[in-house]
Amino acid sequence: MRKYVLKRLAQVMVILFCILTILFVLFRLAPGDPVTRMVDPEMTPEESQHLIEQLGLDQPIWKQYLIYLKNCSTGEFGYSIHYGEPVAKVIWEKLPNTILLFTTAVLLSAMVGISWGKIAAWRKGKATDLGMTIAALVTHTLFLPWLALLLVWIFAYQLDWFPITGMVSDEVWLDPDAGFFTKAADVLYHMVLPLTTLFLIHFGSYLLVMRSSMLDTLKEDYILLARAKGLTERDIRNKHAAPNAWLPVVTSVGLSLAFSINGGALTETVFSWPGIGRELVFAVSQNDYPLAQASFMLISTVVLLSNVVVDVLYAYLDPRIRY
Amino acid sequence: MENKTVQILKAKRRALWRQRFMENWRVFMRNPLGRIGMSLLVMFGLMAVCSYIPPMIDPMYHPMTGVDPKVVSSVGPSWQHWLGTDFMGRDIFSQLLAGARVAFLVGVSAAFMSVVLGTAVGMTAGYMGRFTDTALMRLADMIMVLPTLLVVLMLAALFGQLSIWMIVLMIALFRWPGVSRIIRAQTLSLKQRPFIDAARVSGASHLRIIFRHIMPNVLPLAFLYMTFRVTSAIVIEAGLAFLGFGDPGTVSWGMMLQWVWKTGYMFQAPYWLLPPGICISLITLSFYMLGRAMDEVLDPRLRDETQAG
Amino acid sequence: MALLTVENLGIGYQTAKGLLKAVDGVNFSLEPGRSLGLVGESGCGKTTIGMALMGLLPPNGRITEGRIVLDGVEISTLPEDELRKVRWNEVAMIFQAAMNALNPVKRISAQIMEAIQTHRPDMDDDAALLRVEGLFNLVGLPLERLHDFPHQYSGGMKQRAIIAMALALNPKLVIADEPTTALDVIVQDQILKETKQLQSQFNIGIIFISHDISIVADVCHDIGVMYAGQLVESGPAEEVFFNSQHPYTQALVSSFPTLAGPKTKLAPIPGEPPNLTGTIPGCRFCDRCPKDTASCKLDHPKWQQVGPGHHVLCDHC
Ligand SMILES: Nc1ncnc2c1ncn2[C@@H]1O[C@H](COP(=O)(O)OP(=O)(O)OP(=O)(O)O)[C@@H](O)[C@H]1O
Ligand code: SF4
Ligand SMILES: [Mg+2]
Repeated sequence: MRKYVLKRLAQVMVILFCILTILFVLFRLAPGDPVTRMVDPEMTPEESQHLIEQLGLDQPIWKQYLIYLKNCSTGEFGYSIHYGEPVAKVIWEKLPNTILLFTTAVLLSAMVGISWGKIAAWRKGKATDLGMTIAALVTHTLFLPWLALLLVWIFAYQLDWFPITGMVSDEVWLDPDAGFFTKAADVLYHMVLPLTTLFLIHFGSYLLVMRSSMLDTLKEDYILLARAKGLTERDIRNKHAAPNAWLPVVTSVGLSLAFSINGGALTETVFSWPGIGRELVFAVSQNDYPLAQASFMLISTVVLLSNVVVDVLYAYLDPRIRY
Repeated sequence: MENKTVQILKAKRRALWRQRFMENWRVFMRNPLGRIGMSLLVMFGLMAVCSYIPPMIDPMYHPMTGVDPKVVSSVGPSWQHWLGTDFMGRDIFSQLLAGARVAFLVGVSAAFMSVVLGTAVGMTAGYMGRFTDTALMRLADMIMVLPTLLVVLMLAALFGQLSIWMIVLMIALFRWPGVSRIIRAQTLSLKQRPFIDAARVSGASHLRIIFRHIMPNVLPLAFLYMTFRVTSAIVIEAGLAFLGFGDPGTVSWGMMLQWVWKTGYMFQAPYWLLPPGICISLITLSFYMLGRAMDEVLDPRLRDETQAG
Repeated sequence: MALLTVENLGIGYQTAKGLLKAVDGVNFSLEPGRSLGLVGESGCGKTTIGMALMGLLPPNGRITEGRIVLDGVEISTLPEDELRKVRWNEVAMIFQAAMNALNPVKRISAQIMEAIQTHRPDMDDDAALLRVEGLFNLVGLPLERLHDFPHQYSGGMKQRAIIAMALALNPKLVIADEPTTALDVIVQDQILKETKQLQSQFNIGIIFISHDISIVADVCHDIGVMYAGQLVESGPAEEVFFNSQHPYTQALVSSFPTLAGPKTKLAPIPGEPPNLTGTIPGCRFCDRCPKDTASCKLDHPKWQQVGPGHHVLCDHC
């Protein structure tokens, strides 16, 4: 198992290396002078000279490439043009916010999708099943940004239950007396709408996968044996069918991670949630290439690592797979 | 003499084909999902066709350049403007119709390209096996885990504004791995069948075997995947346009949402906020339902299940 | 008193084409510690009877007439809750597809312990595990494989594990539905021998389902030959096998090579069994029967006694 994890991590490194190389090549091919795109015009001449040296932009191209790889591997992605700060600093601050929102959303929707899918399969053809299936079909084909805007319009603007955007309220965070729980509650309060958006979009596909996987599982012979053993229907469902039916759901969580990250970036943008997805969108619109590149690399790393986590989870759930 | 038997055989085969098609069509239409999806798509198709009409009536109905001179900001529905106008007095209804055209254009062409690419790669990988297979599938795995929307965004960061055809091409280039995996599996199982061996023994070239013997058998599956690809292409384009990186020369539904969001009208103009979102969601839903119904046509196992239940 | 009595049993499946009468008018009984073999070609309703004995007919299947009495309790009318207590406790079943009957994500030991603890809730894990170890010894499985997952077992080992599971609660009746068809001949032979021995050791009643009459004749005390949902010949194994009277049984006997006996020419039975969805006027075998007469097509044949305990459903034997 440990060997497998190491192997997967090595694969991740290789893929990241490929992406970096492709970005390097494309960046040199793209129109515009690399120096002006990487260096903030408002810097003093000394500062910009220093940065050019640090990034190796005055070196021959192969050397630039090596310096670039070295810089990237140590997390030196240059200076953000917009913020005038090291890119690494900007995005490191954003990473926890993204992870908080994204992981909560994926876990929540997977959990709800799985348990409802189980129920839908069990009540196949009944009203519960029909209702759940239709709800799942409709919500997971909704256009995410639009759903986000609708939620804002209804719950933040019309009803005024939740804040329109942001992750924290200044009153709370500038208040020296506010304790940890007050702050956490404030974040949670801001998180409700973005989380609802991501949840609504995602739980449907997990529900549908779980439902059909559960229906397949219920046809298996070991279900018949479980019934013959005199188990209650409830135990058959929870102890025999579900643990097998999870497996395809886990696979589909893995396959849809990329899709979820797209959704995450859109959600962050609509709700001004200070995460890396929003930072990428912002950087691209501001022509801030160093920031865009670093955000993109960080997001790719997060996606690739989550995939490894999902694969390991799968191996853990399915004894037939032993690496 | 011989000609005649060949002709009869051909006619028989055609008849069989037609019969099978009718049978499949019946299964397809019996499925409520298939029926609803189909009718919705017909509606969107009509919208796309009708999108040419408003600009002919009056230039002010042109979705991009037309401006109602009497209107200076967004106004609600009226007789002149069934769904109202946007912030500079353009007709929302004509924009909505134009959006249908763009959605079909983007969805179908990107899906077609990615399916062609995916099928070609999948067949090659499955048929050639060994190193080719490993290399192609590793590549597919790598591309598959990348978030396409953000990748295209990154390309926009590199190359600046992307035209609609560039966007279509990019979507196609990054959405083929799913298709290729399925087609590869199918090819692998076909390779075991005796008729492939027979063809090889009789001296057919690899290309001939791939195109004459394998392709006809994997095409139905490829078609099924096309419907799913259409939705993902439409959604990616819409997302890109929503974020402000769409082709500025086209009016897509995503673009309309970007306008209503960025111009700050979203709280005042539900007549503007609702239609494009409903359209994107519905077209996605209808392609999805279509795919599900086709799934059932291709996989008799599912068919039995729904009959019994 | 008989352990099991099946009276005039009829079972139908609701299908798109109407009610399919998979079992029709079947009578038999089984004394404790005896074994009955049910033979017949594919689709004749053997599994259906087995499932009915467990109260496990699929949702579209139901008992249309007759009754099943196990140890004085009428199974066919028992509510689900009561049935659950009977299952595995009194009747255990080895399924036709035993290879797939083990849950792939659970350890073998856990699956057998589960069977025990479901019916003996007061038994703690240690005691249950001890019992499982005893069962492993009994069926000849190595104890170090106790906590393996099913995919780590060979086919024969899985089959033994299932047999161990079937014996877990000392049931009075075990239904073995083609328990060895997926195994190679040697393992099959071993398992059959051991089964036979276990049966006499624990005095279990066994219903042994197979399409191979030579195996059944080897393993069982009595044989019931089924054709198209009906029992057509029944009696002591020797009698039915060596002195078969019904034309169908005769054809069955000659269409299988016996494991031990002389090599005879195999004669496959031409034709197919009738469609079970409609009503069938006369003898069900008449289309394929070499001896049929005009009257066979018109009237249902009657049961005839042809030897001690040996009965045949045919008017011309
Ligand atoms: N769930 C079902 N729905 C409808 N018909 C069924 C169902 N299960 C079995 N049948 C039909 O009932 C008849 C008897 O089936 P059964 O499985 O009992 O046969 P069998 O004797 O066990 O055959 P085999 O030797 O192939 O296992 C067959 O004609 C079969 O097609
Ligand atoms: S009753 Fe007639 S048809 Fe039926 S088995 Fe006897 S001889 Fe053959
Ligand atoms: Mg059977």
